[in-house]
Amino acid sequence: MVLFTLILAPLLLLLLFLIVRPKPIIIPIKNRHVFISGGSSGIGLALAQKAVSEGARVSLLARSLHKLEEAQKSIREAHGVDVAIFSADVRDNNAVERAVAESGPIDVLVVNQGIFVPGALENQASDVIKSVIDVNLTGSFNVIKAALPWMKNRKDGAPASIALMSSQAGQVGIYGYSAYSATKFGLRGLAEALQQELISDNIHVSVIYPPDTQTPGFEQERKIRPELAGIIMGSGGGALSAEEVAKKSLDGIKSGSFSIWFNLEGYMLGFSGAGFSPQTSFPVAFLEIAFAGLSRLAALFFVWSWYRIIQKKHAN
Amino acid sequence: MLIFIILAPIFLLLLYFIVQPQPVSIPIKGRHVFITGGSSGIGLALAHKAVSEGARVSLLARSLSKLEEAKKSLHLAYGVDVGIFAADVRDYDAVKRAVVEAGPVDVLVVNQGIFVPQELKKQDLDEVKLMIDVNLVGSFNVVKAALPSMKGRKDSRPASIALMSSQAGQVGIYGYSAYSASKFGLRGLAEALQQELISDNIHISVIYPPDTETPGLEEERKIRPKMTDMIAGSGSVLKAEEVAKKTLDGIKSGRFSISFRLEGQMLAIAAAGASPQRSFLIAFFEVAFAGVSRIVTLLFLSNVYRSITKSHAN
Repeated sequence: MVLFTLILAPLLLLLLFLIVRPKPIIIPIKNRHVFISGGSSGIGLALAQKAVSEGARVSLLARSLHKLEEAQKSIREAHGVDVAIFSADVRDNNAVERAVAESGPIDVLVVNQGIFVPGALENQASDVIKSVIDVNLTGSFNVIKAALPWMKNRKDGAPASIALMSSQAGQVGIYGYSAYSATKFGLRGLAEALQQELISDNIHVSVIYPPDTQTPGFEQERKIRPELAGIIMGSGGGALSAEEVAKKSLDGIKSGSFSIWFNLEGYMLGFSGAGFSPQTSFPVAFLEIAFAGLSRLAALFFVWSWYRIIQKKHAN
Repeated sequence: MLIFIILAPIFLLLLYFIVQPQPVSIPIKGRHVFITGGSSGIGLALAHKAVSEGARVSLLARSLSKLEEAKKSLHLAYGVDVGIFAADVRDYDAVKRAVVEAGPVDVLVVNQGIFVPQELKKQDLDEVKLMIDVNLVGSFNVVKAALPSMKGRKDSRPASIALMSSQAGQVGIYGYSAYSASKFGLRGLAEALQQELISDNIHISVIYPPDTETPGLEEERKIRPKMTDMIAGSGSVLKAEEVAKKTLDGIKSGRFSISFRLEGQMLAIAAAGASPQRSFLIAFFEVAFAGVSRIVTLLFLSNVYRSITKSHAN
């Protein structure tokens, strides 16, 4: 039995090495143009700081000019570098197109804007639901579509990247996050299709799945989060700092990883729901296969524990 | 080898205890089934099936004339009248009025959908917005409109909300970025919603049909990009009646994920993620075949990307 595994494992690794597509890639960011939507605060701003520190030319897009100017100032103070800022609402595709055109050819597009308004569906106003979908999902299409011509005509032949900021709530739907989870799941469907469409242009798609992250948005959200959501989500790891998320995100983008996961929960969810997301790294593919069953089992345990919590609360 | 024979039953027992939510049976005879996008395609086939099983059926769609034709065909087939309501799912107030007029709902089938295949670089943003607004925002509108009466129902029997996704909601395919986005989104909605509604004895089902013979598919095939056809065209095409039957069976047994044929089951195992699985037997298969199914999907992806690269080189 042990011999069986000892022979099979290397064979499987070899098979994976030969078949995994798309192939692995390295995406440099030094001296290249990184365009970040939702870049004035939270994870977006942390990403901007990291990219600037690695020598990238950075542009930020967000709604509030005031917040953008503050972000610009903080980056100048920290790194002595000026980032370009563009004020636009991602729901306005004309405004987004103008901003993108003004910023010039893009090498790394980080589609990171997002709003989250927690609340059970029955308590959420239909216009709030619509705005979450408009900003997080439709808005992402607007940003990508505006940027695409500027990515395809980039001067250097080096690989480019489109990174989409999803969430662990985009790996599993959570009580109180129906609209938010819907948009974050949606980004994955977009990404899987988009990668097939853009591979021939040497543009590589990454989907980032952070857990709770310490950002101003998170602070706000925690105050109004339904109690059950807090208990269920609290069962995962603690909140990460925006810097940690930014570092891991950028590393993943630079290595052309399709899925960028965080902490044990993230990997478990990633392996159990690998589905048809591409995997460019054959060792990771091997791990996905080896741990797929265990991950699904772990996921089933989590689901069991969440429903127990819900039923217990309901009984009280 | 012996170890497996001993482990398997223990494992099955473990799964039997942990699968949540628990299995449930949802009767439809004599109950109210409300179907959006019910005037044609899968929705109409579902209406036929539900009526034939003794349910009281209501249809919601945009076109009054298509609704009247549907009503007529159902009357001709079963001698039964269904309620018809003309509304655009993007208009929350109109949907709310229709749902209130139809009366308390026992089984809500959120089935309306638009699909316009096109590479994103070529697609009009208006089409993208249309698909997301109708398929996703519209679904939220329908669920939200029906929720109060479903939660407040006097009937203590289990109720159901079924969401029509697609295999394109399990795997993103070339040419379907907006459609896949909207269909993936339905799953996020469903997983969250089930947690919110389990205490109200309302059970969520997500349905993942492959290509199905409907007027919609006819239209879509005419404009499908060549690459999309190469990748997606190799799957089965089912009849609307088959999809309707399996869908209704799944709804009645409170299945969270409803798949079709072997390839659909494989897709479901591969994409299981953290979706609830109420059948411990199926959970066993999901865990046992998870590894194999990931190998299969990696092979599929390898093929897909090779075809794309080859096609691009020509």
